[in-house]
Amino acid sequence: MRDVYIVGGALYPAGRHYGKNIDDMAAEVLDKALAEAKTDIEAVFIASSTAELANKQQILGAYVLESLGLDKIPVFRIEDGDGSGGAAIALAHHVLKSEEYNCVAVVGVDKPNDVLSNQQQDIYATTLDTYFERYFGITPLAYAALMAKVYLRKYEYRYEELAQWAVLMHKHGANNPYAYLRRQIKIEDAINSELVSEPLRLYDIGPLADGAAAAVLCNNKKDGPRILSASVSTNAIPFNLRQDYDTLYSAQEAAKKALEKAKVTPRDIATAEVHDSFSIFGILALESLGFVKRGGALAAIREGDLPINLSGGLKSRGNILGATGVYQLVEVAWQLIGREFKRVDGDYGLVHNMGGVDRVSTVVVVGV
Amino acid sequence: MKHESVPIYWRNIPHYYRLVAKRCKKCGAVYFPPVIKCRCGSKELEDFELPHEGKLVEFTVLYQVGTDFLKQKPLVIGLVELSNGVKVVGQIVDVQPEKLTQGAKVEAVFRRVMVDGKYGLVMYGYKFRPVDGV
Repeated sequence: MRDVYIVGGALYPAGRHYGKNIDDMAAEVLDKALAEAKTDIEAVFIASSTAELANKQQILGAYVLESLGLDKIPVFRIEDGDGSGGAAIALAHHVLKSEEYNCVAVVGVDKPNDVLSNQQQDIYATTLDTYFERYFGITPLAYAALMAKVYLRKYEYRYEELAQWAVLMHKHGANNPYAYLRRQIKIEDAINSELVSEPLRLYDIGPLADGAAAAVLCNNKKDGPRILSASVSTNAIPFNLRQDYDTLYSAQEAAKKALEKAKVTPRDIATAEVHDSFSIFGILALESLGFVKRGGALAAIREGDLPINLSGGLKSRGNILGATGVYQLVEVAWQLIGREFKRVDGDYGLVHNMGGVDRVSTVVVVGV
Repeated sequence: MKHESVPIYWRNIPHYYRLVAKRCKKCGAVYFPPVIKCRCGSKELEDFELPHEGKLVEFTVLYQVGTDFLKQKPLVIGLVELSNGVKVVGQIVDVQPEKLTQGAKVEAVFRRVMVDGKYGLVMYGYKFRPVDGV
């Protein structure tokens, strides 16, 4: 089976893009990525979490191609909530491995700012079980808060230590030209921010942002970083029946498979993008993916500047819902070759993209 | 999230009103929300009403809520362990959040969950309240 290379990539600056339609944003990044790749594509995998709910658009891929005058190309829409992008990458990778196609594009796009913020909360909550969780007013934020409480109590951390996550993310995000919130913050900013679901505060949440990202993947051109493996895993245990609340089971399983397939260990990873839709998820991801020992993530952050989420993560780059995984892939690829980011010292990078509260995770290992 | 669907609500009434779960006839595993196949492989599942008493394992006071719950803000969301060991997450009501403590004894109560403003559909379900009051 032939290897899969990232031969082109493009990102839309995350933010509020009131002047754009969702298909136009996706088309713009796809066009840019195709120009860089200098190749034809045989299929498009488009990831979006909320196109129907926030933008009232289905069959999104066809309208993206219409905008570029591209005809007769098959389009596949992938929806796994805010884990859609990772799932689309994994699927594209598998298809290229099977050699059904030689070159395909993965496009991630979401535009939550087409609706008001209260409606965004409603829409984001549909990533939970709509009948038994969302119905009762439970939201991903409430679950993140419960997990944060369990974690802080179990490992005897203070909230102030959790708030370091936001400081680190903003420090990294300040260097990312595509980040939504490009500024450094002080620990006081996080600690004094509005309480949203105790113990979590406003700075513990990755702000929802409009954005689009595209990557052109080929198995017949040896240009650019290589995707060594991509694994997806689902956690089918409902939140209330979980064994414990300080493990991201989907991330743990996807990482185990992806690292094994790529024949690398967490120690070989020079840069990683993890899904910190809430600060506690970033912490739990570091532990569940095997980068630090259980209960050790906050201590590790205290002791050093980890090469995690150099993009600023969902906290600073922004949570672009279904596009997040595609952003992460392009960011890690660029960090490995020193494009638009400082080059990291190492040959391997990892992407962790998660849908909902530990419902589904994709882990992708990239190498140069 | 206007407008909630009547059929969705109607078919879930046994679960919403009486905490009806599914229990595997073969191995005894209990599922809430209900499933159609047990992890032991059996498809022989029966309705099973969960106990209505339990204790509060963990809780959070949620200030950022969806459009259906704006008038009830903040919501107290708790992870409750029922007397048979099965856990359920739900709203904790009739409390002053600052006085609520982990381990508090709670009981399930039947309450209004939301009202659809456009069609006036009132939807009900279980919530939990501290037995000894706080």
